[in-house]
Amino acid sequence: MGKPEKLIVDGKRLDGRGPDELRPLKIEAGVLKRADGSAYVELGKNKVLAAVYGPRELHPRHLQQPDTAILRCRYNMAPFSVDERKRPGPDRRSVEISKVIREAFEPVVFTKLYPRSGIDVFIEVLQADAGTRTAGINAAAVALADAGVPMRDLVSSVAVGKVDDMIVLDLTKDEDNYGTTDMPIAMLPRKKVITLLQMDGHFTPEEFERAIELAMKGCEQIYEAQKQALKAKYSTKPEEE
Amino acid sequence: MKMYELVSTVKRDYIVDLARQGKRTDARALDQYREVSVETGLIENAQGSALVKIGNTQVLAGVKIQRGEPFPDTPSSGVLMVNAELRPIASPTFELGPPDENSIELARVVDRGIRESEAIDLDKLGITPDEEVWMVYIDLHALDYDGNLIDAASLAAVAALWNVKKPQVEGWTLDEFPVVKKPVAVTVAKIDGKLMVDPSLDEQNVMDARLTITTTEDDNICAMQKGGIGYLTVEEIKAAYELARIKAAELRKHLG
Amino acid sequence: MLYAQNREIVIPGQLIAEGSHSIYGGAFKEGNQIYSSVIGLMNVHGQDIRVVPLGGRYMPRRGDAVIGIAIDSHRSGWILDLNSPYVGNLFVSDLAGRKVDLDKEDISQYLSMGDVVIAEIRDVDERMRVLLDASGPSMGKIRGGKMVEISSAKVPRVIGKKGSMTTVLQSTSGCKIKVGQNGRIMVWGDDQRMVNAVVEALLMIEREAHTSGLTDRVKQFLEKMKSEGK
Repeated sequence: MGKPEKLIVDGKRLDGRGPDELRPLKIEAGVLKRADGSAYVELGKNKVLAAVYGPRELHPRHLQQPDTAILRCRYNMAPFSVDERKRPGPDRRSVEISKVIREAFEPVVFTKLYPRSGIDVFIEVLQADAGTRTAGINAAAVALADAGVPMRDLVSSVAVGKVDDMIVLDLTKDEDNYGTTDMPIAMLPRKKVITLLQMDGHFTPEEFERAIELAMKGCEQIYEAQKQALKAKYSTKPEEE
Repeated sequence: MKMYELVSTVKRDYIVDLARQGKRTDARALDQYREVSVETGLIENAQGSALVKIGNTQVLAGVKIQRGEPFPDTPSSGVLMVNAELRPIASPTFELGPPDENSIELARVVDRGIRESEAIDLDKLGITPDEEVWMVYIDLHALDYDGNLIDAASLAAVAALWNVKKPQVEGWTLDEFPVVKKPVAVTVAKIDGKLMVDPSLDEQNVMDARLTITTTEDDNICAMQKGGIGYLTVEEIKAAYELARIKAAELRKHLG
Repeated sequence: MLYAQNREIVIPGQLIAEGSHSIYGGAFKEGNQIYSSVIGLMNVHGQDIRVVPLGGRYMPRRGDAVIGIAIDSHRSGWILDLNSPYVGNLFVSDLAGRKVDLDKEDISQYLSMGDVVIAEIRDVDERMRVLLDASGPSMGKIRGGKMVEISSAKVPRVIGKKGSMTTVLQSTSGCKIKVGQNGRIMVWGDDQRMVNAVVEALLMIEREAHTSGLTDRVKQFLEKMKSEGK
């Protein structure tokens, strides 16, 4: 489809959402058997799986740090996840995304508790519709908790952008392609501090402020869903000791 | 990447001991599969997709149909390409990096089953002779590894092909996607002289050898692959075929 | 001041209390506030707050009984996998229970790769290097039996208060079990059906560890299996 004339009609976006609405969100914890922790997230048409292995022995040994665990992250898109088949293997975009996702979690994981070890986070995008790195972070946070990796907080992530001069939350692929600005962020819900921030496009300082505020509200909604997913997996039976 | 993990002597002895009695650790019969489920159409961006679970093993297959160049010797035929990703998400024994011998073997065995059975009528997939034909990419993505990836991946690939119907791609003129057969791979493992189908991870780590046999609806064989460091006698191979023939028919029911 | 109740399931980053409490397990302090660092069970006892993790990998502790698998060897001993981020070191003298003359004896006679060993953790240093001792009574190389691996976080439930659960498991089934703090459990028995029943019971305990009435349910299950076999 070529660029639609308007992306916002009567205050509604192409998919019927208002500017501050998230796409439908589903989160499930503990979906894989081999991994120490795992989570599956659907955000709109995005389908993302995250798995955590660790803490575990780090190989090769020369990578080991004597007093801390090394956190590693790999973001990968399955070849069938996008419109035009993607050749398997890491590309420059995946490498950059892997790095910023890892850095989103560095402030929260208690790495000092596990000297000489590694904590590996794997994010697989099975279907993509813009916002895969945010969906990946939301899945990874639940997977880390599911694995029992101690953290100071969860990490919640969402993207905001500017479309037809309006600041909107959680862009679809079309809005990302045809809008002017895309800004994914990740936040620690407790202290409301930002651990991932990327932006490309055009914001006036006022627009940026509004965008960050909207993003943080979006992250709070994501956080609620993450909490629900974790509690659902570990919900106790009616009788309590 | 290690396909064989170190198994403790206790576990090894336990599995072999049970095998001697014709039993398995999870109380299955020698000719019994773990629970099998096939779910199709979950990836909208793919023209066809299927998620297969055999026990805890999970493989997701996606079919993408795109324009491309034909092979020089078959200028008007479509091209089939099968690729397998064994990524670390699925197992602590899978490593990052270019496809290793296990992912390549997996892809080629699945490919053989589909290609040699002529499950896809590739001759119908030409566009402009010598210039453009339809490429059929099957990508196999392992999500969780608990033994017997081959059967799960094969079943997922064929289920994904049958999920295609009429591809929503520009320039597609045929009424339907020309998939015509349902080849099914059955892997049989040998432990202490006993043959058992659908080896679990533990059984795979202990087995002498495995034989994968892919058959079509008419019980004919279109692909075979022996794996593992041990050997098979001719009688064992014949017995494995009998098992494969029967189990393939059962698995085929999951393809609708 | 408590913000979470006793027996409540808490998640990482959740504010659970404020003020001067002693904290244990998966809890941490920031200023005057106390938070959970893991998914766990909130446990309040007077001024003590403990978050019992519901998952997580085994961290070696001095004095723990563990079940290890030999994965490597060197001139004077072996490396054991402990189902943990950290491996255990076992020197031959700590398996044989005496000084071994390495020039005269070939240590491979004691352990092969893949052998299973019951040991005790003698020491863990600040770099998490683990020293094992397998020379004590009912320690050493294991033969036969069935090994079960469960989450190490659930091992306390398998043992129970003063060993109550282990007693139920053994006396009701007639099998012998040995529990490693690292989540590995050995089960021996003459009756294969009852060995399998014990394995089932252990997996049930792992699934339902944080519920009540578990000991009774396990006892009922094993008694049912025993009577069905007759």
